[in-house]
Amino acid sequence: MAEDDEIKEYRWETGYEKTWEEIQEDDAGLIASSIHDIIQKAKRKRQEAKKKGSRLGMMRHIYIILDCSDAMSMPDLKPTRFINAVRMLQLFVEEFFDQNPISQLGIILLKNKRAEKVADLAGNYKNHIKIFQNLTKASLTGEPSIQNGLDLALQTLKMIPAHASREVLMVLGSLTTCDPGDIEETIQSLKQENVRCSVISLSAETRIMRHLTLETSGIYSAILDETHFKDQLFQHIEPLQATNSQECSLIKMGFPHGVVQDASSKKDQSMMSLCMCHLESNSDKRNLSIIGYFCPQCQAKYCELPVECVVCGLTLVLAPHLARSYHHLFPILNFIEVPNQHQSTHCFACQKQFQESDKHLYKCPKCEKHYCNDCDMFIHDTLHTCIGCSSVPQRPQMNHYDNNRIFKNVIL
Amino acid sequence: MSTMAETTPDDPSLLVICVDSNPSQGILRRNPDALNSIINCVTAFGNAHLMHKPQNKLAVLSCHHNGSKFLYPSPEKSLEIRQMDGQYEFFTFVEKSIKFNLSELIKNAPKIVNNVESMLAGCLAMALCYIVRVKKAQPIGTNLISRILVVTGSEDSAHQYMTYMNVFFTAQKERVVLDICTLDNTLVLLQQGCDITGGHYLKVPQLDGLLQYLLWIFLPEPSIRSKLALPPAVKVDYRAACFCHRELIDIGFVCSVCLSIFCKFSPICTTCSTVFKVPVPIKPKKKKIKT
Repeated sequence: MAEDDEIKEYRWETGYEKTWEEIQEDDAGLIASSIHDIIQKAKRKRQEAKKKGSRLGMMRHIYIILDCSDAMSMPDLKPTRFINAVRMLQLFVEEFFDQNPISQLGIILLKNKRAEKVADLAGNYKNHIKIFQNLTKASLTGEPSIQNGLDLALQTLKMIPAHASREVLMVLGSLTTCDPGDIEETIQSLKQENVRCSVISLSAETRIMRHLTLETSGIYSAILDETHFKDQLFQHIEPLQATNSQECSLIKMGFPHGVVQDASSKKDQSMMSLCMCHLESNSDKRNLSIIGYFCPQCQAKYCELPVECVVCGLTLVLAPHLARSYHHLFPILNFIEVPNQHQSTHCFACQKQFQESDKHLYKCPKCEKHYCNDCDMFIHDTLHTCIGCSSVPQRPQMNHYDNNRIFKNVIL
Repeated sequence: MSTMAETTPDDPSLLVICVDSNPSQGILRRNPDALNSIINCVTAFGNAHLMHKPQNKLAVLSCHHNGSKFLYPSPEKSLEIRQMDGQYEFFTFVEKSIKFNLSELIKNAPKIVNNVESMLAGCLAMALCYIVRVKKAQPIGTNLISRILVVTGSEDSAHQYMTYMNVFFTAQKERVVLDICTLDNTLVLLQQGCDITGGHYLKVPQLDGLLQYLLWIFLPEPSIRSKLALPPAVKVDYRAACFCHRELIDIGFVCSVCLSIFCKFSPICTTCSTVFKVPVPIKPKKKKIKT
């Protein structure tokens, strides 16, 4: 098989290869600093691997398929595989929506040879979190059916417009599957519909799963331990590069006005109304109020954004939702590692004094300020803004006036 | 915000004050002496915060026209202070180092010819890095409550939009509350920041009463503010403007590659020059999900 040539060895083996050669005792005979170095090197490597300026699929549609079979009750992850996975997925969902605010996510459970959709594709994570919280008590029975799960996901995903990415992320504990038909057919149709399938196995690697991920250009990983699990899961948070088959299009979106409590001065909108998102839930959850966001097309009311209007199908967002994604599109430069030769006495960002133990400093290639390792990681992982470039005026401010005029328009 | 739940009254609280000392802000151009009284108010306010609890921490940053700098605690050499009659040494130290570092900053700053806008967003980013470092240095089990107070007379600025947004989202993630006290202009962008992080926004009606406003509105910790009768939050408009005509829109078209906003359909994105597919009526997706 062609794919067998590409894989020289298993992924999880390479990461830990000959680590004992890298660990060296320091002057005090301790290895802690050496281990610290290895961890930081790994982090840095991943950061540098991020490609820049490439086209990304910002509107993601992803189904999480979670195994709820017998095999998930194994206690090799604490307390059990299942509870651990559910906890991890809760964190994942929160972080996912933080980084991909205009994406949608759905949940499918596999149990007793059946697939059950517990959450439709939706953009509001609070509902998903609630589902996961209730899941911890679920009974784990029977065998999973991978085919049923994939078919169910495909059913919805193939209807998604072509400009959005279609993804499936499977968290699997079982080594077996009980399928009604030929899985090869399912894999081919997934491939045809450009659904990217990634699998995280909590037990061991299986051939069929690797085959599935290779065919659909997803990522396959078998976990080593809890930390590795988190690592493998969280790599799916970064938006993917857009595939060539993905179309580019303009998407129609609505930007609703928020109506806040003090809107009583406006005659037309001060009526009490129910929101569309809680219309079907129990009566105690429905809130009759004047606060909310109104769809500019059909005037349906929602209490939270982003959401897809259930009446007219318009995607409703706020400007900050789009702004949350800008850092993926305009990433900041990687800092250069330079040896500590007392270029500066303290980190430009956090004011930490550089010690002798700080072997390397990190320099922004643009503003040439020096940072400590912690700040470098924080700036690139979370803040996405170089402190020096943004706090020291770089260029003579020529078109200052013009910019301000434009900006006034942008924000009101 | 819901994030303030698990705090106990014994937790230390870190307050970072960002003072805008840029001489080209309107309020200082009209009356250069105002800086003096602003700094006095801020110092008194900082000391009041320290007085609240013995564990409380303070940091003061100055945002000047040529960059931002820490006034307290200063990373460089520490000052020698003599005890003043009747004042707690620590407060004297805070006051002296703020004044000393600020005068150094002003002395060493290059002269400006034209008006330069304050790089306030960068100053906030710096404050966040500092907060993260202090948080990391905390002993395990203590919960550091942190917030940032901005005291500024500057205007909103256009090309800092991205930095501001990054700062707001990071603050939200790190559970840092952002309070804004503006002395002169209405800052629409920073209002959004307050709204996102759950902080308070105040435009001071009279500069003379600055200390009073600071003490009443911004001294209470965010967790107990809900119990106080503070002025109501301002209404924030989050509507977007199209990139082509800069007009506020209700319904627009968004490029699926770079998320630029347009008010009309155009075949090529002006930002990332992607060629779009021929316009087909966008079918409602609702039915598909219901299947």
